[in-house]
Amino acid sequence: MPDWQERITRETNPAVRVEHDLRYRLAEPLILGARTWADLGCGNGVAAADAVGGMYPGRAVLVDAEERAVETAASELRAGETVPVVADLTDRDALARLRETILEGEGPRAVTCFEVIEHLQTFVPLVELLSELAEAGEATVLLSVPNDDFWAIDNPFHETTWGEGSFAELRSLLPGGTVVARQLALQGSAVVPEGHDGEKVTVAIQPAAEGAVPTHFLAAMGPQAAALGVHAGVAQTDLDETRAWERQRESDLAHMEALHRQIARLQGENDGFRTELQANHREFEDWRRYIHELEGKLGLPLSGHK
Amino acid sequence: MKVCFLVNDLQLSGGVGVVVEHARRLAHDHGFDTALVLVREQELPSWRYEALADVRVLPLEEARRERFDVAVATWWETTFTLFDVPAERHAYFVQSLEDRFYRHDQAERVGAALTLDLPVAFITEARWIQRTLQELRPGAPVHLVRNGIDKRAFASPDAIETRLDGPLRVLVEGHPGVWFKGVPDAVASVRAMREPHHLTIVTGWPEELGELADAADRVESQLTHREMAAVYAESDVVLKLSHVEGMYGPPLEGFHMGATTVTTEVTGHDEYVRHGWNGMVVDWDDVRGTARTLDLLARDRRYLHFLKHNALATARGWPTWEQAAQFMALALLRVRREAPPTADDSAAALMSDLRGGIEAYREHLVERGDFARQVERVERLKRIGPVGKARAVWRSPAVQRTVGPHVLRAAKRVLGR
Repeated sequence: MPDWQERITRETNPAVRVEHDLRYRLAEPLILGARTWADLGCGNGVAAADAVGGMYPGRAVLVDAEERAVETAASELRAGETVPVVADLTDRDALARLRETILEGEGPRAVTCFEVIEHLQTFVPLVELLSELAEAGEATVLLSVPNDDFWAIDNPFHETTWGEGSFAELRSLLPGGTVVARQLALQGSAVVPEGHDGEKVTVAIQPAAEGAVPTHFLAAMGPQAAALGVHAGVAQTDLDETRAWERQRESDLAHMEALHRQIARLQGENDGFRTELQANHREFEDWRRYIHELEGKLGLPLSGHK
Repeated sequence: MKVCFLVNDLQLSGGVGVVVEHARRLAHDHGFDTALVLVREQELPSWRYEALADVRVLPLEEARRERFDVAVATWWETTFTLFDVPAERHAYFVQSLEDRFYRHDQAERVGAALTLDLPVAFITEARWIQRTLQELRPGAPVHLVRNGIDKRAFASPDAIETRLDGPLRVLVEGHPGVWFKGVPDAVASVRAMREPHHLTIVTGWPEELGELADAADRVESQLTHREMAAVYAESDVVLKLSHVEGMYGPPLEGFHMGATTVTTEVTGHDEYVRHGWNGMVVDWDDVRGTARTLDLLARDRRYLHFLKHNALATARGWPTWEQAAQFMALALLRVRREAPPTADDSAAALMSDLRGGIEAYREHLVERGDFARQVERVERLKRIGPVGKARAVWRSPAVQRTVGPHVLRAAKRVLGR
């Protein structure tokens, strides 16, 4: 069942949260190696804060369309210097100002732009800006798009559709030397004997991207693009929460379906009443005609006529 | 950003339609100053394209007096004049490997292939062309911009209507006279079906159908996009047995309207067709096998529904024209920003292909020389007195009516041994 939760919060479904966290963990060496970091579409900054250990010593340019999100991200991140920017990332003037803001900060610079492009009515100016920053060696850029195409997801929050083909298009338009990564879904399980609760365990996996269906596509471009490494993340599933979350949705859906049925029933009743009313109307018309005929024969004024 | 696309004409065709759509949206959605440059004298009236108002249509002479940021060739013959148009950068929008449209002994085949060696940035609409160009021209910029689909015209239903019975509704689309479209094979396959079926043929050239039309329950021509969408919506299967395609639009349009496809493994099909998932892939020149595949779909309605259901889901993930135009805008901006490709690499590729072309030409000449010698021998034989007389007797109606057929049958028997 599709999840339309577009803002990552501490209450987000663990699987979605892990996906999101992992992208920031992938970017961690770029972010921590940069004196200036711009996070485009920063949201609440929850995952970013975790990735940098809750404290970023450099200059953080936090960009989002919503002021409240930027404020929350600023408090979560506790950067050495925070530059909050509320901007429409489709607007060329806003992007020109953003570019200046980013370049005002010292290098090396990193720009993260996760799950943003698909929300924009036009991604042309933003991709142009990111490509130019990377090509000029002014910043290392890491961006991601979802693989909606695979599930034929019609996400009402997404302005454009992304998948293998669209990402191939994007990749062909990014600067040479762009490093591409595929984010894959993992599943697992753990056994914890009594007395071992909370013990750390290391799981060896060799994720193979070739032929696998990714959940997301990532592209890194710019001076440090090659710094990307293999990362994996797992989170313990809170089955209680998951069940509550899924049951709530099932329950909501069932409730909605019941409402639909009720509406359909009421509609049916309504149609019945309408038909009955129309029949009554026709009957009354017949009576009126008959009475008027009688009144006409008796020379009386027609009732209902002034 | 000032861009022009070079076209031979504005006649209604898939390729020109794509160019017009991009030009229109670049102007309307992205504020580009966009022009369509007609490189040939126009003999036929052009089709009216909707909302071309934002796009200028210029004759070549006028375009020569302007200066563009990027001038884009859109068909191999338009490259002849590409460099006559003053522009900062020259690009080539490759919609198919057009040399494949010609048979091996046609001069155009070499000509079309050579145009891929020009020192230009390439933009193409299918990954198979992108891969081929990258192999042919390593180092040359090759940008991918897939065609969008007009989702207002090809407006998908929310779900597929389940058809449990009735004849399998098959749609065959294409130019019957163009060898690589495989229309005669498609019609023959439907004819060879054993299960009940209903065949609709859609073609812009109905007069060229000839006896193929007899197999059709319905023939449609010159349809608008919306009318075409309605025909797809009435179909279960879009049957395409093409030998050459670029981005391969018709089955995808069918997918949008809830039809599946039976197709050859033609270039472009792998962009969205998956055998047994959203369509069926059959062999070339296999009329019987194709007919059996259609029979299977006619019989197994559960499977047919599965394919149609997945075809519709595939369509949902395909980009709109709005999205496609965004990629085209990015591609053109990138072409303008990048340094133009060097002439050295281009020249090396050009000379290599030219050499290949000359070799092929030489082989054809040798082949033709052989044929000419054989013909000459036959002609000499014909000129011998008694042979000439015997031929004249053989041709006489009296002989043809009486002993002629018996002699032919006897000759066939002897030769058959």
